Amino acid sequence: MEHVTAVVELLYQFGVNSMAGRASTELESSFFSGAEVEFLAEDDMVVIVPSLRMDTLHLICGDFGPFMPQVPASVPLWLGIAMKKRGKCRLRAPEWMSVENLTQVLELERESSQEFQPLPFHYVEVSRLLLDNARDDLVDVYMVQTLIEDIRNVRFHKVQTGLQTLSGKTHAVKLKNLGAMEVSLIRPFFVKALEKFYVHDNEELVQPSQGETDTPLASVDRHPRRVLRPR
Amino acid sequence: MANYYDLDDILMEEEYVTVHFKFEAKGLGVLDPGSEHDDIEAGAVVDIPLWLAHDLCLRKFVSIKLPSFYNERIRKEIQADASCVDLGRYCPYFYELGLRLAPISPDPTLGSFLLYCLQGRYKDMLCKAHTVALTTAPKFLNLLTREETQLFEAARDSVKSYNKWRFQGARLERAAVLGRKRRLNALLSPFELT
Repeated sequence: MEHVTAVVELLYQFGVNSMAGRASTELESSFFSGAEVEFLAEDDMVVIVPSLRMDTLHLICGDFGPFMPQVPASVPLWLGIAMKKRGKCRLRAPEWMSVENLTQVLELERESSQEFQPLPFHYVEVSRLLLDNARDDLVDVYMVQTLIEDIRNVRFHKVQTGLQTLSGKTHAVKLKNLGAMEVSLIRPFFVKALEKFYVHDNEELVQPSQGETDTPLASVDRHPRRVLRPR
Repeated sequence: MANYYDLDDILMEEEYVTVHFKFEAKGLGVLDPGSEHDDIEAGAVVDIPLWLAHDLCLRKFVSIKLPSFYNERIRKEIQADASCVDLGRYCPYFYELGLRLAPISPDPTLGSFLLYCLQGRYKDMLCKAHTVALTTAPKFLNLLTREETQLFEAARDSVKSYNKWRFQGARLERAAVLGRKRRLNALLSPFELT
């Protein structure tokens, strides 16, 4: 699990990013759908407790096994789920999916308004897959489910408030510890918004210095007359 | 900037702009529906599409008069509360048109006004786009311009597809023919009518 503390960068720079030059339809098709992100998440490793004896599996992504009954083994999630569906193993929930850990994460998320707590990159998808396919192997299923949903909501709200500060000067946004699903959720909107800001700000360079200095136009002062209460 | 195949770009260029002819133009009376002659006189004020106005302006044949929705009154409205202004009614391509007009218009503040306007409206849209009810078309959708609607739809679609992924039921879709019971005798004798 090398990307546990992966840094997600919603990098967007015109001309640098390969997506920049594409037409909007192509741009949309280059985003991941929920199912595709889930597919990527299935490569994460989980620990299973097999209930059968089986030789080592030689797969392209590596060798797994040999499997002995009641001896825990580490396999990709997709393999674990496939075996679980056939009743050949029990899945063991990862450490971060315990109620204590999730409660702590949720509290920390609520306390710090700026940063995100480190969770696995694919935490939304992995938890969903486990909750769907291995409900009987988990403890406190409902609690875990609620906690993860809460954490996701808190984090998403944080993303939104953080990105309200987007302006013409923003060319890239760095969001540390953000999950894959969260990124794919906000990406379409923000890539478009950043593109709009970029275009408008670029056009700006024609304007400010060149204005005649004699009489400032009334429209130049575009700030509210009174100091308004921030909403 | 303009994309040849972009439909929105084409539609945007169809927007009418008021121009002021600096010279007499022979045989261009067709451009002015109210004219009685074949020619346009010097100093005439005519509405022409942007694609034509843009090129004529670059050749210094005409001078552009900004459309009414960039005037002082609208700017005041946007200052007061950007997100409540019904920009979609004024012009569905408010921003794009403004961007095209900014370099050739006499008003140097247009560009900064557009950016200010976008910033003000973006914040409100950001809050609403990801949280609004998915099934019904929200009321404020009417207030948005075409560009903003696209932005809004992008956000809504991503939330929609996430929810679909999150709450979907069966993973595998069942082929329509599988569940049905076939009538064996219908296959045996096609001519038998029951």
